Amino acid sequence: MSAVAFLAGRGGWRPDFWTLVAVAAWAILIVLLLIPLGLVLVSSVRDESGELTLANWQRLFTSARYFNALVNTLIVGFGGLAGALLLGSVMAFCMARIQIAGGRFVSIMAILALVSPPFIGAYSWIVLFGSGGIVRQTLMGWGIFMPPIYGLWGILIVFAFKFYPYVYLLTSGALANVNRSLEEAAENLGLTPFQRVMKISFPLVLPALSAGGLLALIHAIADFGTPRLLGRGFNVLATEAYTAYSAEIGSNLGMATTLSLVLILMSMIFVFIQRYMSRRNVYHSNLINRPEKIRLRGFASVAAHAAVYFIALGGAMPAIIAAIYSVRKTNGPVFQPGFGLESYSRIIATLGDVVRNSLLFSGASVLLIVVIGTLIGCLVARRNTAHSSLLDATLMVPYVMPGIVVGVAFIAAFNTPPLVMTGTAAIIILSVFIRRLPYAVRSSAAALRQVGPSVEEAAISLGYSPVQAFLKVTIPLILPGIVAGAMLSFVTAVNELSSSLVLYVGGTITMPVKIYIAINDGDYGTAASLSTILLVLSGSAIYLAFRLLGRDERALL
Amino acid sequence: MRNWARGRGFFAGMAYLNVEGAIKHYGATTALNGVSFTVAKGEFFTLLGPSGCGKTTLLRSIAGFSQLSAGRVTLDGTDLLAVPPHKRDIGMVFQDYAIFPHLTVADNVAFGLKARKIAASEISDRVAEALATVRLSALSERLPAALSGGQQQRIGIARAMVVKPRLLLMDEPLSNLDAKLRLDLRDEIRDIQRTIGIAAIYVTHDQEEALAISDRICVMDSGSIEQIGTPQQIYGQPATRFVASFVGTMNLFAPAAFGLPDVPGVAQWALRPERLRLAEAGASDDSSFAGLVEHFTYLGREAHLTVQAQGHRLVAQIAAPPADLAIEAGREIQLSFDRADLQAFDAAGRRVRTERVA
Repeated sequence: MSAVAFLAGRGGWRPDFWTLVAVAAWAILIVLLLIPLGLVLVSSVRDESGELTLANWQRLFTSARYFNALVNTLIVGFGGLAGALLLGSVMAFCMARIQIAGGRFVSIMAILALVSPPFIGAYSWIVLFGSGGIVRQTLMGWGIFMPPIYGLWGILIVFAFKFYPYVYLLTSGALANVNRSLEEAAENLGLTPFQRVMKISFPLVLPALSAGGLLALIHAIADFGTPRLLGRGFNVLATEAYTAYSAEIGSNLGMATTLSLVLILMSMIFVFIQRYMSRRNVYHSNLINRPEKIRLRGFASVAAHAAVYFIALGGAMPAIIAAIYSVRKTNGPVFQPGFGLESYSRIIATLGDVVRNSLLFSGASVLLIVVIGTLIGCLVARRNTAHSSLLDATLMVPYVMPGIVVGVAFIAAFNTPPLVMTGTAAIIILSVFIRRLPYAVRSSAAALRQVGPSVEEAAISLGYSPVQAFLKVTIPLILPGIVAGAMLSFVTAVNELSSSLVLYVGGTITMPVKIYIAINDGDYGTAASLSTILLVLSGSAIYLAFRLLGRDERALL
Repeated sequence: MRNWARGRGFFAGMAYLNVEGAIKHYGATTALNGVSFTVAKGEFFTLLGPSGCGKTTLLRSIAGFSQLSAGRVTLDGTDLLAVPPHKRDIGMVFQDYAIFPHLTVADNVAFGLKARKIAASEISDRVAEALATVRLSALSERLPAALSGGQQQRIGIARAMVVKPRLLLMDEPLSNLDAKLRLDLRDEIRDIQRTIGIAAIYVTHDQEEALAISDRICVMDSGSIEQIGTPQQIYGQPATRFVASFVGTMNLFAPAAFGLPDVPGVAQWALRPERLRLAEAGASDDSSFAGLVEHFTYLGREAHLTVQAQGHRLVAQIAAPPADLAIEAGREIQLSFDRADLQAFDAAGRRVRTERVA
């Protein structure tokens, strides 16, 4: 209610300020989101001469190539979802309900899996299980045949290990919050353990499970790097969109935008399905009895530990491999026996600008995200009007936009006057900004709702003006949340690949893009050492965020 | 009638806060429907009513956190509504304490003094004094998170009082505390208010709390005032059937029940449970009647009886029940009352003055 007084205040400059924020928010969304998306739509129904045509959409369904990509996207999406659900729920159950030795280590492994730079995951799997992979070669040497990890199955395995943390982190949180008395009551009423799990525990964690699954699904259909590297002919919409856009001869922006639209629609549909599912399944119950972790003995304990460590190490393996390979001795792009720091010295000698670009762009976009995201978050949290709901709903769009789509949309919008930004650093900064903005808005709105209006009212009743009250009470209370959010945004920003890949030029190349190029050029030492630098940067940011927020891995999602 | 006169006399003619015709609409719903009252200097004034009756809206309008759709509020002769909330100099105690979690206990209490640009030495003196008043001196350097609800609310009270505001508002300050603490803090609040001599408006839905703490009570329902009076008037001479039932328990029965004469204009009789007596078996004065016991609850200092009689369910309260008093359900017992204790209400639920129903 103070919010009403605060925002609608009597006279002074305040109402103007918040109206200004609202206007600025819409201006940003229109310029950076709605116009690019509109142009994507327009470009998908136009041919080269600018005539209206449905040829691109027709080709989507008639050309075997694009139709296959569509089907393949669904396959990897649901395959990735299934894999992530399987690994994630096994992990969540074991970690939440069974005493596992080294639990702390396991959750660090899960975080490593989550923040591993893109591409390096697929690359590390190739290092071990590709045609010339170490593990495959060793096994073949022992006479055991093992197919190389290319094609659909390879992609699905990588996705399962890459995306399981979404399911694991959300579900284990929910499982740890199921009131033990509920399960005891079910047992007491005569349900078998299996019935109990199916009828009580499962429905209670379903919202978390489906939310985690949704994240896995959306990331799986948007993922560009993994199918690009491992697919070997198995193409999905994201890779086809990139190919259509980047082909040296016959670049086809219309087809790229059409494929992008299909990707957005797909993500949106899945978001709505998940929201509909979890809307009907939100239960509130008091948490008096926390569930206890069972101590398993003998074989059961060994099996549980084996499962947990298999998943944890599988997920963190790419990061570990990258770290190891980064200190292998190299001669040019070729690995030599033994260890050395040549890869790092090469980065310092020749790739300083790449590292600097990455830090500069990420820093700039995080600054924008924090300032603008917090202001819009205040607006959304404290001004409960139809207008702020619309703003909130519009912010859902970048949330589901695959990076490759943002890239293509920005090219469609900012390659021609009135606003030409292609080839600048600004376009990369803004693309990261618009993708991450929804997270910042939501987290600052959530933090504000936690503070509650009454402390601000208390300060006002004690004689502070609304602006002073906001600065002296509310800001200090939400500051740790904002800084932590900034750290997490930094992790996303510094690891961003797919939109930068579409938008970069020689002078604005970033670390993830350079890793992609290095891997394509066979320069694995550089890729591994850049990846390790990214990992260290991400790890430090996360450490800082956890120090501020309290350790809650779910904040990473 | 004597109580009424005393209650009026004590604060009469000293209108300090004056609320006139307060109206508040939220879209199509009306939260306040033309509310007027005055509060005198030094008076403890309570707004009592069920949730949604408009009492909190009224309080927040006085504080400035909510704007009235129409009406006037003056404090000490000046128009309050023209003053922005932070310049009204009105202390507020919140239901959820609203303690600043990032400040120590002492800094919380000093918060309002700092806004008033008071010298540091005076601030520390006044904070120490305020903390001593609410018995929190030992905890002054702690952060609030480590404190109990009762301690947090004490900070809230000290924080609001220390700036010596012109008016103190309390929005259900005790409703989140457990029963024992509620009683203790209730008395403390009353003592502190009396010592300082500040005018206070207290919002609660707990009728017992209102009776215990107030100089005067304003009972509200659906955005309107039902009655304003001293606790004795509110309990003993409720102006409406709503007040009668909301404050304490009331037995209501039809005009012709229990051999009562049909008085014109009386639609319902009402009788407090403590006015029903156990009568000797076979006694037969004209106000005694037989009933069937539904429940008997022994509570030590009193006992409660639920009795079915002549189509009515009545509650009787027996003070200091003898140790051997045990009445099992299903037994028939004899009850009686004095007709002088009856209250009468008309069809609209308003009190009807009846001189001795003989």
